[in-house]
Amino acid sequence: MKFLEKQLHKMEPNFVKGGKWEKWNPLFETIATFAFTPKLVTEKGAHIRDGVDLKRTMIMVVLALVPCLIFGIYNTGHWGMVAEAGTRDLAYWSDMGPKFLLGLTYVLPIIVVSYGVGLAVEFLFGMLRGHSLHEGYLVSGMLIPLCMPADVPLWMVAVATVFAVVIGKEIFGGTGMNILNIALTARAFLFFAYPTSMSGDKVWMAGTEKSVDGFSGSTVLGDLATFMGDKAVVAGQEVVGTTQAGLEAITNNYSLIDSFVGMIPGSIGETSTLACLIGAAILLITGVGSLRIMASFFAGGLMMGLILNLAGGNAYLELPAIYHLVIGGFAFGAIFMATDPVTASQTQGGKIWYGLFGGMIAILIRVLNPAYPEGVFLAILFMNVMAPIIDHYVVQMNIKRRLSRLKTA
Amino acid sequence: MESTLDIFVKAIFSENMIFAYFLGMCSYLAVSKTVKTAVGLGAAVIFVLVVTVPVNYLLENYLLKAGALEWMGAEYANIDLSFLSFIMFIAVVASIVQLVEMLVEKFAPALYGALGIFLPLIAVNCSILGGALFMQDRQYSTLFDATAFSLGSGIGWFIAIVAIAAIREKIRYSNVPPALRGLGITFIITGLMGMAFMSFMGIKYGKDKKEDKAATGMIDKAAPAVKTAKAITIKNEIND
Repeated sequence: MKFLEKQLHKMEPNFVKGGKWEKWNPLFETIATFAFTPKLVTEKGAHIRDGVDLKRTMIMVVLALVPCLIFGIYNTGHWGMVAEAGTRDLAYWSDMGPKFLLGLTYVLPIIVVSYGVGLAVEFLFGMLRGHSLHEGYLVSGMLIPLCMPADVPLWMVAVATVFAVVIGKEIFGGTGMNILNIALTARAFLFFAYPTSMSGDKVWMAGTEKSVDGFSGSTVLGDLATFMGDKAVVAGQEVVGTTQAGLEAITNNYSLIDSFVGMIPGSIGETSTLACLIGAAILLITGVGSLRIMASFFAGGLMMGLILNLAGGNAYLELPAIYHLVIGGFAFGAIFMATDPVTASQTQGGKIWYGLFGGMIAILIRVLNPAYPEGVFLAILFMNVMAPIIDHYVVQMNIKRRLSRLKTA
Repeated sequence: MESTLDIFVKAIFSENMIFAYFLGMCSYLAVSKTVKTAVGLGAAVIFVLVVTVPVNYLLENYLLKAGALEWMGAEYANIDLSFLSFIMFIAVVASIVQLVEMLVEKFAPALYGALGIFLPLIAVNCSILGGALFMQDRQYSTLFDATAFSLGSGIGWFIAIVAIAAIREKIRYSNVPPALRGLGITFIITGLMGMAFMSFMGIKYGKDKKEDKAATGMIDKAAPAVKTAKAITIKNEIND
């Protein structure tokens, strides 16, 4: 460590203004501040003495994502083998080594592309606009792979990353200025631009394209969405009969505990609610994530689920509300996406409304919109758009309340 | 036919005047610098839409549409005045905007000052005329449906302008590249917001109304005719 520090100090004069490699200053600064806490102090604005800076905060989130990542790799491997075998009857917890390796071959390239392309774009902007590399991409670069289907072509990941970083963030002035969550912008961009690669029953299990004819790689959400149409299909089998039969088919294929642990097909990092909750604990203990948003998001989802239960009519509407919280990307979105401190509501009261509406709209879109089986990422994007206006009114209400107190005194 | 609730919610979200049709962009871009004026203009647009669209609906159905004049007597049944619809709609819109302007000046002088030139410009706000023309185009079956559509469109426009005003207040101190400052970044934000609003596309909120028996009959009769026509064209093509 001492050696590295010395080397960095020796090289520093070359990179400062007037030095030989002045142009490459952003790169140098990034590496230097990433390795060691910089001596720089804030020149203007509020002064807070704290060892934690933005880079350390962001690393905390990446650490919280590690359980999701590890489980996601294993899960991808398992469903990859299922797709190869053409049957869903494979035991989940056997052949762990090969499964993990198989998952790695699918997930690792996506992560490499996401970080490589994203950091290259960031670096380009840093050089052009003369600022150091922004820390925000540490988290976005991990979130983007985790919300992609395992089979997504790598060039799509690259295109979406460029779009999200340039249009979603850099033109607003970089980290901390964006209005929409970067990872979700990438996800939504792909969803609307290349819908066939982001939905349907061919993309969720790695290698389904090559598997035997008639094998369905559908997710629980995709199956549930068929109940809203004319013909209900669960895991490739047509379901006829009453609502009860439909519910049984769903619970037989995707039991509550399986969905909670994450033993279901889906995007790479989103399937395991358990892993997400471990991440949530890390975020809450370190004070990085907001409990208000997480709790109200779950509460909103539960409420909407119960309201739809009351309406009833088919297996999807009568699905127990608790199910909605463990399937699809609900937990992942609520814990890692909705709590993004930049795009979420900033005020304490606003956070509760933000989460509540986010959860409700997520389930509403998921159930009622036949075109979009997953509604969580769209709901969070929608709430990102609405967050400033929520904040505005929370602040106005506060001003009004305090003014009235002033008058009575 | 769509249910009234469906028409209403669709007009707010998936068929939003701003994000789906980009109507009324001039005032949307110009008056969205602060939330307060945005709320004022948004409310004015809701009011004008809710008043003008039903009035225009009555005009359309009892004056302008082909055969609309039948109520005056059988000899008027085949008069078609729909070529007048643009000028009639715009006249109705302009006069009602005058009325709103007077009311705002009388009861909210501060808002009147803040809205400035844009209040009279509601008369040429594309979303107002757009509302009337969509109403004509989509042929809503009742006055109630048309009113629900106009209220929904107004609320959708209101949400759009208020949301972007809050976002613009938030990014006021952002380090946006110089070339994009002002309108450029606003257009990009509008695009991103449109992406978020796409989440509501395709949702059905209520059960569809039952088709009129006569109407269904007509469709049934029309269908074979179309088929024969198609068959004939195909035959001709083969012969050629």
